[in-house]
Amino acid sequence: MRDQLTYPDIVQMAVPLFVAAILAEVAWIAVKGRGGRYETRDAMTSLVMGAGNVTSGILLGFIAYGFFMALWRITPLDLGTGWWIVALCFVLDDLRYYWVHRFGHRVRWVWASHVNHHSSQHYNLTTALRQTWTGPFTFMMVVRAPLILLGFHPAMVLFCGGLNLIYQFWIHTEAIGKTPRWFEAVMNTPSHHRVHHGRNARYLDANYAGVFIIWDKLFGTFVPELEEERVDYGLVHNLGTFNPLRVAFHEWVAIFRDITRPGLTWRDRLAYCVKPPGWSHDGTRETTDQIKRRHVAQNPDTAGTPGLPAPGSAE
Amino acid sequence: MPLHVLIILVAAGIAGIVGLLHLLGLSEPARLADEDAARAAWAAEFPDDPALAVIVSHDRGAALVETQRGRGIVWPVGADTTARYLIGARARRTRSGVRIDLPDFTAPHVHLRLDAREADRWPALLEDTA
Repeated sequence: MRDQLTYPDIVQMAVPLFVAAILAEVAWIAVKGRGGRYETRDAMTSLVMGAGNVTSGILLGFIAYGFFMALWRITPLDLGTGWWIVALCFVLDDLRYYWVHRFGHRVRWVWASHVNHHSSQHYNLTTALRQTWTGPFTFMMVVRAPLILLGFHPAMVLFCGGLNLIYQFWIHTEAIGKTPRWFEAVMNTPSHHRVHHGRNARYLDANYAGVFIIWDKLFGTFVPELEEERVDYGLVHNLGTFNPLRVAFHEWVAIFRDITRPGLTWRDRLAYCVKPPGWSHDGTRETTDQIKRRHVAQNPDTAGTPGLPAPGSAE
Repeated sequence: MPLHVLIILVAAGIAGIVGLLHLLGLSEPARLADEDAARAAWAAEFPDDPALAVIVSHDRGAALVETQRGRGIVWPVGADTTARYLIGARARRTRSGVRIDLPDFTAPHVHLRLDAREADRWPALLEDTA
């Protein structure tokens, strides 16, 4: 079984492309007067978060890679390095991405890492680079374990993960409306991903896809972008700071404060870590499910429309 | 890619993009056009507790709101806005207006540019709920 297999670090290689594409988007918006918004400090924070993510990968990448190599040594399977194996790995890793991303919105411990990606009230190509610094602490690397155990080499899996990340860069834009229907049907697109970044009740917790939108359609989390409801970007409660340290760590701090509150049971403390964001032991906060139900209660005509519960749906 | 090349590329990329955006005039903070804009900005954060009364600062850079649950503040975060209740807030005068310290890791300080009359009045309004 091969231990040594190398692929280029394509995310690092794509950095010049990222910079050029951002400059092109800024120029497009400036010339056309439409297609998105930029703000200096917001963009700077996003870019610094991206640089921090690369730094974090360099400093902490050994944790995941060490874990994957340990699995690789114990698995008897080796699927080889044929292009069709890389293609299959890419598709399966995208399925892996879907579930990690879904956990990232439904499990507060994972949301603490992912929340920063949603913390901008803008949606442009710099938003794509507003990435986590704390990914390894979510332990979501375990979701990749089946791929390694099935015989996909860790270097190939990480290469496919890099391709996935690069694909997702271009969909963080308002400059592109809708792509051809066949493409919208299969692939994640700017339109689908705008929905994912929405804080509107109907758009919360939807469209977790990385590359293929079919996963959302398959698992019931797809919500289309509606012409009559413009996406409002950001968090349910938007941040009041551009400080990258606060952006990176605020939800971890919030979890720490919650689990160290006096008078809680151990079950409550655990629930503050693993229940969906917005859960609280005394019901003083709202989860996305509760926000959607409140929205429907206040706007009964929206019940049962995309992204919103039907009338009388269970608590 | 050698690490030093990556570092230069990232640093130059960030500096270039940020410089360009500033030169394009995209560093201007949001302004609250009127009381309705302030109410809308508050409602965007707390839709189930509408603003009952609003005081917009003279430069339209912030607004104090009164709600059923207490007082709050709306202020610009870049080209957008956010809002917080003032429970536990501490306010003090600065040379340009008032600084509010909030017990909130995601919004620790709010610097308000106020004229002398507002700067005299607003801390007292804030203290009511502090």
